[in-house]
Amino acid sequence: MKKIFALLLIFLITSTVTAQMKLGKEHSKLNISCQTCHTCEVPTKNDPCLVVCPREKMVTIYQKPEETPELIVIDQLKDRYGPVYFSHRLHAQMSEMSGGCGGCHHFNTTGPILNCNSCHETSRKRNDVSVPDLKGAYHRQCMDCHREWSHSTACNSCHLPIKEVKGTEKEQIAQRLKGRAHPVVLEPVKILYRTESDKGKLVTFYHDDHTKKFNLDCISCHKQESCSSCHDVNKKSSDSKTKVSDASKSKLSFEVQHKNCISCHKDDNCTRCHSDKELMPFDHQRSTGWTLKTYHAKLTCQNCHGSKIPFAKIDKNCISCHKDWDNETFNHAVTGLKLDELHSELGCDDCHADNNYAIKPACDNCHDDLSYPKDLPGKLIRK
Amino acid sequence: MPGKSRRDFLKSSALIGAGITGLSSSSAKATPKNILSPDRMGVLVDTTVCVGCRNCEWACKDAHGLPAGDLESYENRKILEQKRRPDPSALTVINEYSPGKYSNLPVDVKVQCMHCDHPACVSACIVGAFTKEENGSVIWDTGKCIGCRYCMVACPFQIPTFEYDKAINPLITKCDFCFDRTKEGKLPACVDICPVEALTYGPRMELVMIARDRIRRNPDRYINHIFGEAEVGGTSWLYLASKDFNDLGFPELGKDPAPGVSESIQHGIFAYFVPPASLYALLGGMMWLSKRRKELEQEEKI
Repeated sequence: MKKIFALLLIFLITSTVTAQMKLGKEHSKLNISCQTCHTCEVPTKNDPCLVVCPREKMVTIYQKPEETPELIVIDQLKDRYGPVYFSHRLHAQMSEMSGGCGGCHHFNTTGPILNCNSCHETSRKRNDVSVPDLKGAYHRQCMDCHREWSHSTACNSCHLPIKEVKGTEKEQIAQRLKGRAHPVVLEPVKILYRTESDKGKLVTFYHDDHTKKFNLDCISCHKQESCSSCHDVNKKSSDSKTKVSDASKSKLSFEVQHKNCISCHKDDNCTRCHSDKELMPFDHQRSTGWTLKTYHAKLTCQNCHGSKIPFAKIDKNCISCHKDWDNETFNHAVTGLKLDELHSELGCDDCHADNNYAIKPACDNCHDDLSYPKDLPGKLIRK
Repeated sequence: MPGKSRRDFLKSSALIGAGITGLSSSSAKATPKNILSPDRMGVLVDTTVCVGCRNCEWACKDAHGLPAGDLESYENRKILEQKRRPDPSALTVINEYSPGKYSNLPVDVKVQCMHCDHPACVSACIVGAFTKEENGSVIWDTGKCIGCRYCMVACPFQIPTFEYDKAINPLITKCDFCFDRTKEGKLPACVDICPVEALTYGPRMELVMIARDRIRRNPDRYINHIFGEAEVGGTSWLYLASKDFNDLGFPELGKDPAPGVSESIQHGIFAYFVPPASLYALLGGMMWLSKRRKELEQEEKI
């Protein structure tokens, strides 16, 4: 128990990152067993009786990359090399697509973000060797990704040479990293997948339809990308708007290949995506039978369909969206036909039988010899 | 290591030889008088963690007074395109293999003496230069070594190497588990430098538990096998991997201690004066044959 207190004390003292989240009473309401972190029945503030690391089932923290520290200087273990100036925010942005905060901040509590040295001892010669020491822990986090894209294990790609580190250097580096954000990721417009499917050999995936029209986040599909899928020194960058991908040779299982699509397209049949020819991008008229005109074409999908993905079909009745429209409030001029004084006094269903606006309005309730559209109940201001 | 000259060895072996002639062969079934300490140390090599930086190669040379060069020069990964073995200029080497089940990164494997619990080299050494020490290391006394290279033949991992390029006083070399460093309370040089702590130094018993725990917690990452836990009766160095050890340059070995095999061959040949008896029988047979041929020739003449 003394050891745990000592570790907590070290954490408090050496904490360079201010605790961004407070461990409130709320954390007890989380859907995890108390025994994941606490050994005793009733943990108190003075005696939290925390289990020693590694805690196997642990919830991970989440913070927006923009809220995280920009620069972290890792200099507890100066040895053969100088400190590492770690661009934390930049890495946090990249991690959004490859595992999130939990990729590095594993085994964290529900509350404040723990420093690495609260579990990982600074000395390699120690009694409990079941958890890697601090040097090992740091390098394990960095080197797997770094050698994946750089194909190198060169120390100086992160470390400064020990002799070159001067007092003002930190400020210079901090200045250089200030406000530096990850550049906007270039998206392809469409990706053509060649497949071996007998339902159609070609899948046309309109990437920008999904991101721009349907407003999907990158991370709703790209959760566990490896660093090298974007960053690889051997990779040639391509400016082409259309990507061609040969999926027919993929070793991935059917389930894994369809995983991202099926989460929304679960009610669609194969030919929605598979075809023997390239498919057209999304068109509201063709796919739904509802043409978007003047006003509706200006709206985003979410304005009508809500933010829930996949979008649900909605009722074609005006009133299902325009709940406040009635005889009093509706300005008929928005349809392009400004009603004359006489007609504007009438109720909707006097002309539009059963409030059905899809069919031709009827004039014969009052007029024997008039009919729409030959005769108009007002002035046409727009076609 | 206590120095002992070749003269001392010859003296003692002459005395032992004189004594042995009076003994029956059955009492000569010797096993190494090396006690296996329960607290012996070991190293757990997690090949899924190793990044193949080769810093251990540099540190090993540096600690053993071998020409090491710049640490930066070890960043060259071209050398990993071929498989290497330890030799007198490098007591440990890293070899790289194709990715395992866990990641698409290549698997890097450190090669050095495994420091067997029942070392074949100790058993095979005819001058008793090799010993299994209390801390788990298998070391040898260069003063006693006569350069017979039996240890090289006996080793199931083919680890001891010989300074063939030296005309004068060539020596056997191999990893000594940094015996001198650990005696001073330091870590083995390779363990100390490893940036990712792919090498964990600790009591062997504890390391086995840690290795089992890692497999239990990450069944997708590891194959269910700790190399060295049972191989040739157990080794001080233990390995975890994401693919079959046969595909990582490890020999396929049984669970029986290697000395059992080498000793039974050696003792089998020499037991009950078989070689001298068979030699006499062969010579006698030849004499008998030539004598008979002469007799036949004489009979023909008559």
